[in-house]
Amino acid sequence: MLKKNKKGNTDTASSHVLAPVDGKTIVGEQIIIDGTIRGKEDLLIEGSVKGRIEIETHHLTVGPRGQVEAEIQAANVTISGRLVGNVNTTGTVKITKEADFNGEIKAKSISVEDGAYLKAVIEMEREPEKKTVTVVKPEEKSASEPAKEPFAMTGKSSKRN
Amino acid sequence: MATFSTSADRSWKDPAHEPKTVDYTSNVLQIFMEGLDRQPPGQVLDLGPVCQENIRFFARRVKRLYVCDMFIRLERCLSKGNPVSQILQELDCPPESFDGILLWELADRLENTEVRRLAKLCHTILKPGGMAVVLVLGEQTARFGVNSFVVGQDFKVSLRPQSHLNLPMRGRQHRDILAIMSPLKLAKTFICRLGFMEFLFKRE
Repeated sequence: MLKKNKKGNTDTASSHVLAPVDGKTIVGEQIIIDGTIRGKEDLLIEGSVKGRIEIETHHLTVGPRGQVEAEIQAANVTISGRLVGNVNTTGTVKITKEADFNGEIKAKSISVEDGAYLKAVIEMEREPEKKTVTVVKPEEKSASEPAKEPFAMTGKSSKRN
Repeated sequence: MATFSTSADRSWKDPAHEPKTVDYTSNVLQIFMEGLDRQPPGQVLDLGPVCQENIRFFARRVKRLYVCDMFIRLERCLSKGNPVSQILQELDCPPESFDGILLWELADRLENTEVRRLAKLCHTILKPGGMAVVLVLGEQTARFGVNSFVVGQDFKVSLRPQSHLNLPMRGRQHRDILAIMSPLKLAKTFICRLGFMEFLFKRE
């Protein structure tokens, strides 16, 4: 199901995607996976994946033709295709202008190109508390707000629909 | 009053040239952030245009940053000839979800009916005491098209043209914005030269 690239040997199923890179697994355009992917190497998805992707120490790329609906755990993630789901990384999330992302991102850093189609909840490491000068009249606020999830992350708003 | 530097003065004189840099220091954003900083870390909604600098800026200062680019949704909606009211369905949030909403200049890109709906929606999804930032570019600046408002150090804001967005500009006056956003209470407003205006609204 997964096509492993070898140097100088691009297999026919994945030749229509990006140039082969050593050590990267490619899920080709015609591949559909429903379930969990676990691994210890970089992954490029140009096909369809639904489920979970766990490559904690490696890089996940959702290519321009990729369609992913999954919970993702990876070191770094690049999104150029359609991704619905939650992304949890220890590193960077890169979202290109071709991306259609709907979900939650937890990352150390994030880069987003202008033009990306985004509906996202983003959590990054917060800056240390700063003392600020009061300009507006202070208000009483409850210290413990109930946890709510404002966006319904259903993926129904895809630009491709 | 907010300062509005004219490093793009040459561009103002010649509409054929796009502005290289148009910077200003935003008083409203400063007040907005100071208001948020006085509370426990909260939730902010940014309605776009998507801008990585702003994502980094706000996401590191609030508990959770919600980004829903309404500008690109509006662009696609208009290009397909769909009713603009569709895009407001994207903001399917429970009442009192947010401590702050960044509308930027979205209100000046929508028809009156939609802006009124948007204002009402903002009132619903803001927590009591929550704030909404609204900008109006003014005709001089808006003729260069849709921009993202890139927030930098000390609340210096640079306008970055968004060439992929082609949206109508309504050219609203100060009083129009106050009337349309009436579900919310005006907290602060700053009028700069070149017709540029900043508003901070609050939910009581």
